[in-house]
Amino acid sequence: MKLIDSVIGAPVHRLARFAAVAVLAIGGMTEALGTAEAANKFVFANSSAYDSLDPHAVFDVGRVASRLNLYDGLMRWEDNPPQLQPWLAESYEISDDGLTYTFKLRDAKFHDGSPVEASDVVYSIERTLGMKKGAYGLFNASIEPGSTVATDSRTVAFRLNKPSAIFLATVPEIHVVNEELVRSHEVDGDWGEVWLSENDAGSGSFELKRYDPAIGFSATRFADHFMGWGDKYLDEIEFRTVVEINSRVLGLMNGDFQGTDGYLPQDQVKRLAASDTIYVQEQESMRIFYSIIQNARSPMNDINFRKALSYAFDYDGFINDILSGSVARDPVPLPNNIWGAPSGVEGYTYDLEKAKEHLALVKEPLREITLGALAGYGQTEQAAALLQNGLNKIGIKTKIVAEPWPVASGKMRDEQQMYDLLFLWKSTYYADPNNWVGEMYACDQVGQRNNSWYCNPEVDALLIEAQTSTDMDVRRANYEKAAVMVMEDAAGIFVYNTKWYGPFNNKVKGVRFSPIGNGQEMRWVYFEE
Amino acid sequence: MRAIVLIVNRLIWFAPTVLGLMVITFTISHLIPADPVAFMAGENASNETIEALRHELGFDRPIYVQLYHYVVGVMNGEFGVSLYTRRPIVDDLFGRLPATLELTFVAVFVSVIIGIPLGVISAVYRNSLLDHVLRLITVSGLAIAAFWLAILFQLLFAMELGWTPLQGRVDGWGPDEVTGFFLIDAALMWDGAIFRDVVAHMMLPAITLAFPAMATIVRFTRAGVLDAINSNYVLYEQAMGFPRRVIIWKYVLRNALIGTVTQIGLIFGVLIANGVVVEAVFNWPGLGLYAVNSILQSDYNAIMGFTIVQGVIFIIVNLSVDIAHGFIDPREAR
Repeated sequence: MKLIDSVIGAPVHRLARFAAVAVLAIGGMTEALGTAEAANKFVFANSSAYDSLDPHAVFDVGRVASRLNLYDGLMRWEDNPPQLQPWLAESYEISDDGLTYTFKLRDAKFHDGSPVEASDVVYSIERTLGMKKGAYGLFNASIEPGSTVATDSRTVAFRLNKPSAIFLATVPEIHVVNEELVRSHEVDGDWGEVWLSENDAGSGSFELKRYDPAIGFSATRFADHFMGWGDKYLDEIEFRTVVEINSRVLGLMNGDFQGTDGYLPQDQVKRLAASDTIYVQEQESMRIFYSIIQNARSPMNDINFRKALSYAFDYDGFINDILSGSVARDPVPLPNNIWGAPSGVEGYTYDLEKAKEHLALVKEPLREITLGALAGYGQTEQAAALLQNGLNKIGIKTKIVAEPWPVASGKMRDEQQMYDLLFLWKSTYYADPNNWVGEMYACDQVGQRNNSWYCNPEVDALLIEAQTSTDMDVRRANYEKAAVMVMEDAAGIFVYNTKWYGPFNNKVKGVRFSPIGNGQEMRWVYFEE
Repeated sequence: MRAIVLIVNRLIWFAPTVLGLMVITFTISHLIPADPVAFMAGENASNETIEALRHELGFDRPIYVQLYHYVVGVMNGEFGVSLYTRRPIVDDLFGRLPATLELTFVAVFVSVIIGIPLGVISAVYRNSLLDHVLRLITVSGLAIAAFWLAILFQLLFAMELGWTPLQGRVDGWGPDEVTGFFLIDAALMWDGAIFRDVVAHMMLPAITLAFPAMATIVRFTRAGVLDAINSNYVLYEQAMGFPRRVIIWKYVLRNALIGTVTQIGLIFGVLIANGVVVEAVFNWPGLGLYAVNSILQSDYNAIMGFTIVQGVIFIIVNLSVDIAHGFIDPREAR
């Protein structure tokens, strides 16, 4: 052994010396560390990847930050419940026939200093229609390419091909880009999409400073923004993609980030709320959780079977036990807090006796039912398992199929491939009841945004009238009625409306939550110790 | 001479291997029942939008036609564009590849410089308390899930002790990119502060990634050294009065390293694959997350590009291993 010691002694001692030096060096390094963020820079950790900054290519809630902070629309949704405010538009008029919307622009500048003109608005809507991406689906039915005109440099008129009561609600999604700048980067008629995916051609409150699709983007305050700035504001914002929840939470706690998304699991929200350096803002959002039922297929085409399904779901168990009461029960296909949502509706409860009664009335033979869930979204799988448990008790055999969103979204558009049921959310794209009940249950949306294949002529008549009428009382009454009728038809299993728990560092003030922006519009935010 | 023949032989197989990889990946990625076009068009897209997009992207053509166009494109250096961002795949891949390669190289380096000496010590002190402790550590290294270890390291070193950064590759946006390898770029800038920051950010992810690799290297080195130490030539060298240090570190280790070096080649591939989890936990902007997102979104071109790049790296690493074998064991090169 002594011999062996002499053999390995020297290398091991060298190794030990190396290790000691390394430890000392590392110690030296860590002295220089800490949160090396600029004093007035806000870093937001987001779960989604910022794989494109093009405001006309991206239209999801997860990546809303680049649209809201780098770009302006004619109108903007603010606060909760969302209020539609003129933004780049100073004023607007609607013609008596409800077909022409004329907007007068404010005196505003793009980030390169050039003025925002009506022709830029025209180019922006043409670009949206031409690229057929992003918010295209909101406008393609009502606006023909080439129909929007700039009557002078500050006035733009949209001429709809049919009256649309929801048009104004969707105008915030027309993000105005600098026509001259984008055109100068167009290649082979690509609408400058490749260039704009990583550059900025906006007039928004912040201008792009740096972008890396693998990391995120940072932007500096645009001093010449048309809205001006008060005494308190941020000099720089940074939105970073951090996919791991734990890393977002720990990063917030140790000061790497000043804010993160408000849809964290409840255990993490509690963990953050208990921290001395974090506060959590709670708001009821507009994002409903429900199960689509394929209404056209047997036995779900029998209302009694659908009612049996609705009575077999343990709503209280799901909301209070599994989700710790962090969401609000919502029995209809509309968020509780939007106008047009019926009040005082009790909805279905977990009642296996009633489920059995309805099941006994089903004429078609029963079969195994496929319960769809979105892989990677634990809540959808938990809800499917809970329903499976309830259905098992009343003698309905089921199997759960959890598949990733690209697979599910493809199947949702095919009547044959669609699951018998599928649990998922419906988010806010524009704050109008049409965003939910209108799209989910209108007959002309079957196979597109109506993935239930539910078509009730009575409900449809209400929805059509609500979509075209300019009388708010008519619209409100129609949506209230339609929502209740869809619920009574048990066209889906309506579970809850989401609450938003936005965690921020204690020094962050001024966050304005709206279900469209999810607290990520940073022009209102400032730091105060 | 034999080494050159070996390299040429490997290079001849390079093209068919990559072609095979392309055909298999293309077929699998296109046959899974996902609809990237519906996903790409968004939740609110109409069917008309989706079909227009499908036609524009050429996904309504027969799969063999799509494959043909793809292979021809790759032969011309075109990996296509991302279905989502329309950016060239090459830009996306090579924007992220340095981050992954840098982390992998450092992890391999750490696992080798720690693993080989520990393997030798373990063999020389076989069945001693030290050997048992090392066995316990190495078995743990192979058994512990990377994400769990990563989170523990974060909680201890970043949150509790405050010795290391929690996540990210660097504070802010890092050094001016020349190579994309931040250690090299920071050195080129001659900026000690950024270099230290880069090293500090790299410590936890590199150690997390290196731990199971180190365990493998320790086990293989131990087995190799034990095998070699009982050889007749060691007995002969002892009888001739060679210094022990020379026997172990020059003759025994060299003979024992053949298996270890083969493992290092394989470990490199495994580390790139395992990097997905480590990159996610430490928010490391590398290829792993890009690959996972591409698969979830069925971004065919991105999946293909990622697989081809990975395949080429793996082939190059294994070629290097073959060459290294030639140096360690001249009989192989003859």
